Amino acid sequence: MTRRSRAAYDVAVPAPSPGGGRTAAPASPASARSIGAPVSIRGVSKWFRTGSSFLHALDEIDVEIRPGEFVSLIGPSGCGKSTLLRVVGGLLPYELGTVTVDGNSPAQARDTKQIGFAPQTPSLLGWRTVRRNVTLLAEVNRRGAIHPPLGESEILELLETVGLGDFLDRLPKELSGGMQQRVSLVRCFALGAPVLLMDEPFSALDEITRNEMRYLLLDLWERTGHTVVFVTHSIPEAVILSDRVLVMATKPGRVVHSETIGLPRPRSAQMEDDERYLAHMRSVRRALGEVSAR
Amino acid sequence: MTADTAPPDAAGTARQPPPQRPQHLRRSAMTVAPIAGLVVVFGIWEFYVRVFNISPLTLPTPWSILVHLRHEPGFYWRHAQVTLLEAAWGYGLALGASLIVATFMAHSRFVERASMPVIVLLQSTPVAVLAPVFLIWFGFGHWPKVLVAAVFCYIPFTINEFTGLRSVDPGAYELLRSVSASRTEIFWKLRFPQSLPYLFSAGRLCVGLALVGAVIGEMFGGSTEGLGNTARVGQVRLLIDQLWGSIFVLALIGVIGNLLLAAVETRVLRWHSSQDLPGGSAATL
Repeated sequence: MTRRSRAAYDVAVPAPSPGGGRTAAPASPASARSIGAPVSIRGVSKWFRTGSSFLHALDEIDVEIRPGEFVSLIGPSGCGKSTLLRVVGGLLPYELGTVTVDGNSPAQARDTKQIGFAPQTPSLLGWRTVRRNVTLLAEVNRRGAIHPPLGESEILELLETVGLGDFLDRLPKELSGGMQQRVSLVRCFALGAPVLLMDEPFSALDEITRNEMRYLLLDLWERTGHTVVFVTHSIPEAVILSDRVLVMATKPGRVVHSETIGLPRPRSAQMEDDERYLAHMRSVRRALGEVSAR
Repeated sequence: MTADTAPPDAAGTARQPPPQRPQHLRRSAMTVAPIAGLVVVFGIWEFYVRVFNISPLTLPTPWSILVHLRHEPGFYWRHAQVTLLEAAWGYGLALGASLIVATFMAHSRFVERASMPVIVLLQSTPVAVLAPVFLIWFGFGHWPKVLVAAVFCYIPFTINEFTGLRSVDPGAYELLRSVSASRTEIFWKLRFPQSLPYLFSAGRLCVGLALVGAVIGEMFGGSTEGLGNTARVGQVRLLIDQLWGSIFVLALIGVIGNLLLAAVETRVLRWHSSQDLPGGSAATL
């Protein structure tokens, strides 16, 4: 099996603009935290067994993610975005390369609760209220955690931020799809993990709700400063949220383009009319077009 | 125009929302519906027997059976207690055993594969024939009847609970794995609560099956008490009122058992979509 060399995509996080940036987020208990951790993916390759043959899912992935960076993975279906996310999260094994989360292997990071995961569907437990769904991840594997989960007041504050302050004792079936996804996001943040992995968390939402959720996520993230790896199919979503957008190609899954987003923070919906935003959109779209044309 | 103002029609007059029956009337209708169903069935039965002059030895009227029950309440209460106790023990034993076996099956493919032939064997065997066997093993006491009731209930409980424990939401399962939740934590936080709708579904089916098991045990188990025995004696001695009285009391126990379980289910499973029907699970009665 040959291994091709590939330069690591270790582009620096753009400096916050004067008068903006994460420090400009409103002061709060949660905003005192800045707990992002680095993620290093070096030469990672993965194969899936399909009957008697093997499917080459990931090929020589090299990505360095800095503490507190927001990185989006975008690409056509089957390019290995979710697989890469699960490899980083220690949910899938890989055959070649190394992955570290704050210097630990994915399995160690999982055992020490350094990774928060937001799946595609909210996956709320129907018998638990909003409040108890949010604290679910903190309740399990308590001994393993090296970062304390958010306290009750911090969780309440996050729930208030996403507009669920009046729904604390409601069951998931009493909430809309968008509200359930907001609970899922807060649950992910409430774990207090330095690295958050999000697998297309807004894919099942309508466009209006999805647009609203982007800015809610930005708001939550700008208060806490986690490292986020975000999988999406939406170019606008990737550009407005991220410090860096990685475009992936299929067969085998690999990173073919890295777009550093130079928009200042905090970001707002008004920036969607900004020429720089549109230029990044065009650039990412062009890279995706080239991927599809191959 | 405000949001709650009806839009005007072509003639410019405000359209009224379609009239709806008040909520309390709809709720009352839902409560009365099962009673209405029973009244209709018993009415047709009573009418058929009277109009076609059916012999009471073939089919007594429901009214005459109710009158007979009113005259012998102590007799039926004494025997009902015996059957109820046997059925309840059998139900509880089957529930406990199935919870243990289904948990092991859900966690181990080996145990699942090893258990399946036994389950298929039990499922394919007419359980009634086990009653004489249990009689030989355990004598004339209550245990043979309890065991027959337990065997009747064991398969539905085990299969449903196993299915429920295996049918976990993959997203929630992955979420718990992402923080290295232990098997025990995944069981108590996810698998078991998610299996409860399956367990209640089996539970309701088994209320009837436990009674059937206890009655068969009494009929084949040389019993001198219990409603299975009173029905058998009624049939042998042509005490038709006693035969039908036993059937009515058994049916009543089954209905009460189901109602009680439905009440518990409505409370425990209030989070589940099955309870969104008007009146919750009790509405299916």
